[in-house]
Amino acid sequence: MELPENIHRKESADKLLIQTPGHGSYLAYIRAIVGDLARKVGFDEGEVAKIEMAVDEACSNVVRHAYSPDKEWCWQQRDPEIRLDIRIEGSRLIIEINDHGQRFDFANYRPARMEDHLREMKPGGYGIPIMRNFMDEVQYSSNDQTGNTLRMVKYLKKP
Amino acid sequence: MKDFRIDHESRGPVQLIRLVGSLDMYSFPRLESQLNALFQQGRYSLVLDCRDLDYIGSAGLGALIGFAKQAREHNGDLRLLNVPERIYKIIELLGFTKVLQVHQTEDDAVGSFQAK
Repeated sequence: MELPENIHRKESADKLLIQTPGHGSYLAYIRAIVGDLARKVGFDEGEVAKIEMAVDEACSNVVRHAYSPDKEWCWQQRDPEIRLDIRIEGSRLIIEINDHGQRFDFANYRPARMEDHLREMKPGGYGIPIMRNFMDEVQYSSNDQTGNTLRMVKYLKKP
Repeated sequence: MKDFRIDHESRGPVQLIRLVGSLDMYSFPRLESQLNALFQQGRYSLVLDCRDLDYIGSAGLGALIGFAKQAREHNGDLRLLNVPERIYKIIELLGFTKVLQVHQTEDDAVGSFQAK
């Protein structure tokens, strides 16, 4: 797959670094790169689809919320960027998604249960429940130096 | 990688909408404006043909649920057709198939409105 010039990709045996502009038009490339890697390390097609979706939800949230034009990142005079740091450690695929946009109070965010949302046919609020459903670990951290990082882990084989 | 495209044609009172490419947070506003335009014309019976859909994210799924709800409030519905197996497994796992009707053939999907 040919990547646009402003997607930077650095790969070694067990590590992949991707940097893209923080814009929705790059999401399809991110999904494709992450899906290829997950396939390569041995996840079956069903698990690959889940990993792609979890990463897409995380990056969509960065574009939509962290880099929302009405948030304070605009004042920092920096172009919005998404950085994905993906590595294999033993039987774990670790995906860290970093941005320098508006932080999010992930720990105190209590999304409604998916079943309730679906029963009421709500049009939104599915992203974080999907990440939590499809990945084995999901953690969010934020600090002024390194920005916001969402860390997701998927086990190739359950420990 | 296919560019997102929406093709639309009428099958009597039913609107058949074919989605090509990926329906994610970047592309879904285009579907949203197309469906809003149909609703403004009073067309609430919709079939979305997904045979060439590569991907659907929660923004797209949420929008479909929201439009199905609005359509049902006007005695219509939004129903899915030809959902690729990879996407079907995901939406089934998440519970969306309990809320959205999924059909295998165009005749079945279009006919399901006439059978009401």
